[in-house]
Amino acid sequence: MSDLQIASVTKHFGETSVLKGVTLDVKDGEFISLVGPSGCGKSTLLRIIAGLETPTSGTIAIDGAEVTHLRAADRNLSMVFQSYALYPHLTVAENIAVPLQMRQMSALQRLPVLGDVLPGARAQKDDIAQAVRHAAEMLEIAALLDRKPGQLSGGQRQRVALGRALVRDPAAFLLDEPLSNLDAKLRVQTRAEIAELHRRLKATFIYVTHDQVEAMTMSDRIAVMMGGEILQCAAPDVIYEDPDDIRVAEFIGSPKINVLPVERNGTALTMFDQVLNSRLSIDSPKVMQMGLRPEALRLTQSAPRLTGRVVHLENLGAEVFAQVALGNDGSRVTLRAMPAQRQNLALGAQVGLSFDLNAAMIFDAGGARLRNVELAASRAAEVA
Amino acid sequence: MVTVDPSLAADVTKPKADNRQARTGWGLAAPALILMVLILLVPILVAGVLSFTNYSLGNAGFDWVGLQNYERLFTRSTYEKMFVATFTYVVTVVPISVGLGLGAALLVHSLGRIGDIYKTIYFLPVMATLLAMAIAWEFMLHPTIGMVNRTFEMACGTWLEVIPFFAGGCADGFPLWLGDRDYAIWVVCFIGIWQGFGFNMVLFLAGLTSVHRELYHAAEMDGARSGWERFRLVTWPALGPTTVFVVTISCIRAFQVFDTIEAFWAQGGGPNKSAYVMMFAIFEKGIQQNLIGIGSAITILFLLFVMFLTLIQRWLVERKVHY
Repeated sequence: MSDLQIASVTKHFGETSVLKGVTLDVKDGEFISLVGPSGCGKSTLLRIIAGLETPTSGTIAIDGAEVTHLRAADRNLSMVFQSYALYPHLTVAENIAVPLQMRQMSALQRLPVLGDVLPGARAQKDDIAQAVRHAAEMLEIAALLDRKPGQLSGGQRQRVALGRALVRDPAAFLLDEPLSNLDAKLRVQTRAEIAELHRRLKATFIYVTHDQVEAMTMSDRIAVMMGGEILQCAAPDVIYEDPDDIRVAEFIGSPKINVLPVERNGTALTMFDQVLNSRLSIDSPKVMQMGLRPEALRLTQSAPRLTGRVVHLENLGAEVFAQVALGNDGSRVTLRAMPAQRQNLALGAQVGLSFDLNAAMIFDAGGARLRNVELAASRAAEVA
Repeated sequence: MVTVDPSLAADVTKPKADNRQARTGWGLAAPALILMVLILLVPILVAGVLSFTNYSLGNAGFDWVGLQNYERLFTRSTYEKMFVATFTYVVTVVPISVGLGLGAALLVHSLGRIGDIYKTIYFLPVMATLLAMAIAWEFMLHPTIGMVNRTFEMACGTWLEVIPFFAGGCADGFPLWLGDRDYAIWVVCFIGIWQGFGFNMVLFLAGLTSVHRELYHAAEMDGARSGWERFRLVTWPALGPTTVFVVTISCIRAFQVFDTIEAFWAQGGGPNKSAYVMMFAIFEKGIQQNLIGIGSAITILFLLFVMFLTLIQRWLVERKVHY
């Protein structure tokens, strides 16, 4: 159990730069998710932490000791691979035992026949068998110990891969999209189990995923990566409610956040020529973007800020998502409504939408968050 | 009113339809089946029958001789030499050509684009006609004017004479190679390995492409530090099915060795019959001496060996290396 420091790590493959200076401090016992779209460099970063790739520049330190040039086998980290990477010719028990045999037994002791007669080999083998049994019981796969990976289902293989990772006591666990090969139901179940495992082991977990739901539900902190950089690293609720960048706001949250163009006219913030508030400082940019979560929008008949036509409905039972094509410019916004409001949301119906300025997030044209603008806006709302 | 149960009606028509389908099926399969029986099974049966006779090509009839042909195979010294030569060849060529093939495949696989050049070079002897290559080897191995002995003679008078082989060679002349019964079979083995390992390498290369790369990363994370440990943990098990296939194919090809022997010693099968392998024996007895009976007996024995090897392969593939 250790902390981990990643300091301005870059990685180039030829001309392409995959990581552009990533810095991240992982605290002891923390569950941190690296999340981002495909090709954002999250798996490369994990492999650099593991030691399977060398960074072009920058350093990795475990417990304060630099390991940048230490090979993967010497870093004392465990990894669960996306494909599980179980040894197909070994049984489940043998698969789980491999990391212990490789680290605790000498090359001579590992020999098939000779190894058994060497002094101490028997005791060591018993110790390993016991550790394997313990890990298997923790993951409820003790009944499968004699089977080969080919005879297991995807979920069972996934558990064996976890077992192989946790059978020894590594400095940190690295998980590379371990749930992406499971079906939807099993994924939800395993998600909870991995989170619970983390609480029980109190170990450091670094978890790579492209699924924002996994990241939101399991992590202590989420590092949102895009284009080889960490855009923001914070607790899930902070990432969702207070994103630093419009790309973070767009990536986290399903359905996606609504982005509407807003402008500064003098000291007034306007949206579609409608004044939202009039206390903007004069040095804020001219063109800005406003982010509104689907749940921030509400249906209204009196003095709506936005009007439009319902073009698509998704009824999830407990909630309804409606896509509304705005009358102003035809762009679509998504609205979350309660099932009780369904009769107002027939396809093609004209609806009026309103929102609280408190819930709106303002970004500049490049996508960076403008917190001062928002503060002014919320103060204005309070006054109003 | 009588109502007809539809399921009963179906029962009556169904067997008819099944019959028709079965007839069509047999009809469609018949040409292939007939060809297979005529050109594969009947010749083996004929060979099996002839192995119990003293038939010669051109004779009007033949006499049954029972197991006499087989008895000869296991009692005459000529055939003892045949078995010794054949098994010496198989036992030498198979492990070495498989081992070299695997080693070359691993090395070539670890290279990038340069690997393709090596692949082509090692595959050249496989593509060449063995008969022509054998003639080239014959020139090179000529005791006095051959390239091999000429090269060895250059070592005379240098420090290389410390090695007993060179010391003896410089004093009494280098080996006659193809004319020496102690060397003949080993020369044939050497040419067999030289010619065959490139083929094994290509098969192993195909097997290596199927090894999952992530397994090597998993092995590294699990603490497999040396190349040997990764080979033991990942590569070798993954190559299991390929290895069984390569060994079987190499064995069958080794049992079939003929071209080199025929090119080197068209009469007799090597000095003192030291390279009198099975295929050559079949050729000599059955074709040259027109002793069809004994030729057939050797053929049947040959087929038994090959069949036995194939069965072992099937058993191994199903039991041991199929995950």
